[in-house]
Amino acid sequence: MTTNTSVIGKPEIRKDAASKATGKAQYTADLQPEHAAYAVLVRSPHHHADILSIDKTLALQQPGVIAVITAEDIPGLKTFGLIPDQPALAINEVRHIGEPVVLVVATDKASAQYGASKVVMEYKKLEAVLDPIEALSDVSPIVHPAGNLLSQFNVDSGDLDSGFSKADIVFEETFTTQRVAPAYMEMETSLASYHPDGTISVWVSSQEPFIDRARIAATLDLEVEKVHVLSTVIGGAFGGKEDSSLAIITAIATWITKGTVRMVNNRSESFVAHPKRHPVKIHLKIGAMHDGTIIALDGKVWLNTGAYASYGPAVGSLLTEMVAGPYNIPNVTIETKVVYTHTPYSGAMRGFGSPQAHFAIESAIDMLAERLKMDAVEIRRKNILQTGDTLPTRVHLNETALGLEPILQQASAAVERLRKVKAKPGKHSGVGLALAMQSMGLGNGIPDNSNHRLEWLPDGRVLIHLGAADLGQGLVTVAEQITAEALGLPFNQIVTSPFNTHAVPDGGVVCASRMTYLVGNAMIAGARLLIQELIDQAATLLNQPKDQITYACGRITLPDGNTLSASEFTSRAAEKGNPILVEASACFPYPEATTPQHLPIGMPHVKFLFGAQVARVEVDAELGIVEVTDLVAIHDPGKVINRLGAEGQIESGVVMGIGYALYEDMNLKSNNQWINNFTEYLLPTSLDVPANLEIQMLEYPEADGPYGAKGLAEICTVPTAPAIANAVYNAIGVRVKDLPITPEKLYQASQIRS
Amino acid sequence: MIDCEVNVAKSCTELTQILIEPSARILAGGTDILPGMRKNSIIKPITLIDVSQLNELSYICEHEGQIDIGALTTHSKLITSPLLLQHAPALIDACASIGSTQTRNRGTLGGNLCNASPAADSVPPLLCLEAVVTLSSHDNQRQVPLSDFIIGPGQTCLQQGEYLSHISFAVPQKHTGTSFMKLGRRNGMSIAVVSTSVLICIDQNGNIEYARVAFGSVAPTPILSHHAETALTGKTPSAQLFSEAAQTMLTDINPIDDLRASREYRLHSAGVLLQRALQTACHQAEMDMR
Amino acid sequence: MNKLTVHFTLNQQSIRLETLAARSLLDVLREDFALTGAKDSCGGDGECGACTVLLDGEAVNACMVLISQVEGRHVLTIEGLTPDGSLHPIQNAYVQAGAIQCGYCTPGMVMATKALLDHTPQPDETQIREALAGNLCRCTGYTKIVQAVQFAAAELHHDN
Repeated sequence: MTTNTSVIGKPEIRKDAASKATGKAQYTADLQPEHAAYAVLVRSPHHHADILSIDKTLALQQPGVIAVITAEDIPGLKTFGLIPDQPALAINEVRHIGEPVVLVVATDKASAQYGASKVVMEYKKLEAVLDPIEALSDVSPIVHPAGNLLSQFNVDSGDLDSGFSKADIVFEETFTTQRVAPAYMEMETSLASYHPDGTISVWVSSQEPFIDRARIAATLDLEVEKVHVLSTVIGGAFGGKEDSSLAIITAIATWITKGTVRMVNNRSESFVAHPKRHPVKIHLKIGAMHDGTIIALDGKVWLNTGAYASYGPAVGSLLTEMVAGPYNIPNVTIETKVVYTHTPYSGAMRGFGSPQAHFAIESAIDMLAERLKMDAVEIRRKNILQTGDTLPTRVHLNETALGLEPILQQASAAVERLRKVKAKPGKHSGVGLALAMQSMGLGNGIPDNSNHRLEWLPDGRVLIHLGAADLGQGLVTVAEQITAEALGLPFNQIVTSPFNTHAVPDGGVVCASRMTYLVGNAMIAGARLLIQELIDQAATLLNQPKDQITYACGRITLPDGNTLSASEFTSRAAEKGNPILVEASACFPYPEATTPQHLPIGMPHVKFLFGAQVARVEVDAELGIVEVTDLVAIHDPGKVINRLGAEGQIESGVVMGIGYALYEDMNLKSNNQWINNFTEYLLPTSLDVPANLEIQMLEYPEADGPYGAKGLAEICTVPTAPAIANAVYNAIGVRVKDLPITPEKLYQASQIRS
Repeated sequence: MIDCEVNVAKSCTELTQILIEPSARILAGGTDILPGMRKNSIIKPITLIDVSQLNELSYICEHEGQIDIGALTTHSKLITSPLLLQHAPALIDACASIGSTQTRNRGTLGGNLCNASPAADSVPPLLCLEAVVTLSSHDNQRQVPLSDFIIGPGQTCLQQGEYLSHISFAVPQKHTGTSFMKLGRRNGMSIAVVSTSVLICIDQNGNIEYARVAFGSVAPTPILSHHAETALTGKTPSAQLFSEAAQTMLTDINPIDDLRASREYRLHSAGVLLQRALQTACHQAEMDMR
Repeated sequence: MNKLTVHFTLNQQSIRLETLAARSLLDVLREDFALTGAKDSCGGDGECGACTVLLDGEAVNACMVLISQVEGRHVLTIEGLTPDGSLHPIQNAYVQAGAIQCGYCTPGMVMATKALLDHTPQPDETQIREALAGNLCRCTGYTKIVQAVQFAAAELHHDN
């Protein structure tokens, strides 16, 4: 691992920026096939109902309508998912508002919409359960036959009772968080074509195209090789595009009509029918000593996973690992329940349970500090994890935690500095901080690898056959920079192929803060193989001993001191029909010797990221309006690969966190409809971001990370909400324990106090 | 695609003729009616009348102490008008708070009034200015005080065949101060949770000669608070007075619980906003005196 | 639903179009002219700005303009920003500042920026944020977008 890098760390400009700036970049809904039919869905208007009948007759008579498709028309598996409980099209029963029921394919959008309006549905409304605690009761309506408790996770370490009995102070609190939407700007969309040779190709806007491929194949009862999944430019994902539903449905349409079909979810469909962040209730009981040492923590967690499993169990297990926060607590018991309800389902979303967990623990530790009359920084310093500590999952923390103490130190300095800023007239100012921890990787027991290929092109450039999709976050740029560094080539000598499951290996799902680590290591491994291949070729061609040929920066050096450019050999290899092409793979290490094996699949995680954010707010106490004036984000990505990209992640994570803290809430309205549009669901605008946003990046390298790099994408949205909640308390003495912090809640709380 | 006919009116006369059809509605900026039609939140007209060619309905002018604003004047035009900056700064603040730049480039003052949302931002300042709307039909023109024009949520007193052609108000007297304040849930693109506008005229002795107090989002329509106005008239401005006015105002407003806020919070924040607005307006009026 | 004939200029070209009158400008641009730079992100509520184009030099949401309403007017889309396809200084600024991640909001942002800088060549930060408050972005948090606008303003000012 080099400390002096020539490409890594530079703010290289991503190569797709110009085409995006000019509007030339083609997202899936921009693709212009010669002919494409259009399909729309008839969706459930009810939380929970039996489907009594579906009458397609009138719809089929409408001009332009090609097909009206229901679940019975699906040739293969009718349900899909990690836990395959989710029907592509509803079967006899609907379990949430917006669930897809009938698929109408027509020659154009207007005809499809009109045709869909003519499908005659007969439902019998059934009692619905919307709250997870109610869903666990004996008398609750049933969401799935196997029971409303989807999964449960238990972690125990130490002796909880003993811990509480020794504690000087015990306190408990309950925290709740709301349902929020990833709200990427590009709605879900798919474009599928049927080919005369019996194959289909499906364009998807997805984080998991290989999984989509497998699910499409299973749905259509096709061999996987007959399904090609392609990806063009993606307009954001944030976890919400770890979901195959629209890809599968579009593929069904194409298979049955044997034509090309396009589907585009509109914004309101995107709200109700694609994964959300889990609303969560966390009850914490904490035992601590007078000096601030936390010695016991009992956590009970309920996740409202909605109508279908999606990645609910995985979120539940990761959240479980985060409940105790970045603290060394000897006696910990956590029980997490992931519960079905008749609500739009939740799944993967940036942070994957960690934002919810940290809202609870970081609020609780501030509350504990106040009871003990300790400073918020001091109590954290007393308890933070250090290298070598054992987590409740029995994982020994590696040197990745070295950054935590300096992070806290910098946070402390930021707190001091911001406390000195005077409030504007009529406002109350407050400063709050929060630490954060985020796991990397999919977790023990789940294949966690990433496969790509590297090809040395005839002209000396290197082509990455990237097996994963760039969601917009800049994965391609990171891969290219690392490859360039590993080969000693300039950044512009590296190119990346378009994505097609037929042409690239399986790079894995883009998720879990793992792609920089995995893809980076894959590129480094591949680069080594590439260099080796090159030297072998040179040795063979020139009849020179391999071990006396060296490579550097695109050139090989022969024993006699002569150098030749790589293209001399790559061009010859290509002419011979044998281009220099190598595997570039990496996997996430869960060494058996050191990875605890006693937990369910997906647990534990063994690598972690740490960070902190400090928020300064000014509160208009009379109206309850909170303004975040300053936000200092302190993060440790191990090694900054691309500064612009890293800053961009943090800036967006902070703003997403502000939305989570103050504005966003996908509520059920009084008319029994979910909030499903941007008039009512309030994303932060350019006027709703802090006037001063400061980023401090530390680099405590991950020993086996590519050039020491770890990850960044999720953790930057984890501490924001608790930092703001702590700052609000500091400003006006009101503790909001259920997100979002609204003026209404602050007003009600101050009424109760007076 | 919107499901309806679109009829382009080439003149105001033609407009009145098309308007005779009961299911015809004017499409001005489109920023309320088009989303409303897509969401099915309004009764769908069968014909939309595109009035974008009627440039004669877009103007701001002053004549003998009266300011007239054509109905098709966009919010963007309004907020950069030197005339309005001088004589109706509260109206400018209100229109500047509507939607986004894109919305304001299309949305019109006439549209804002005729859409008649309880939260319509332009209305409270215009109520304080005692604005009058002119309604034109093919053979008649009548003036209606703005306070009588909006009669319910989304409802105006426009009759079949009529359109709103312009809004008028007298240039406020000297020693007048105004204020507009709006409470929204975020800074950008916000819909009013509560809004208030006040107009205060101070006499030689520094007492309030007369006051106009209006609110948005606290009743089925934007309204004037006569109780607050009465409480203020003839009195000396003070924090105590403003607090009393805020108390008396409560009987004039009747906010609901909705997605954005509860009734209770609206009652409370209307009072807070009013006191702040009165503070600002009186201060401005006093400055005007010197 | 009736048809009509509309005459307007689109990226400096004269257009005569016969089409259904109730179609939005956004649909016409994307479907009839394959100008897919302007995008739908909010379903026509006017809440996202992803479809921002210039109408007679003013930033508007194309989803909220019916095609009949562009009669006699000038429409400028992202594709028409530079006739020869080179990068306009505003586009270049966005690229250099790292203000583009997924890029879906970018065409709308760039057009809103153009309208701003045409009217206010040297905006302060508040003016920039206000001008862009109708353009939602989920990927960048707006910081680098604001920097890009400042950079572009300086470049354009320098060029003049």
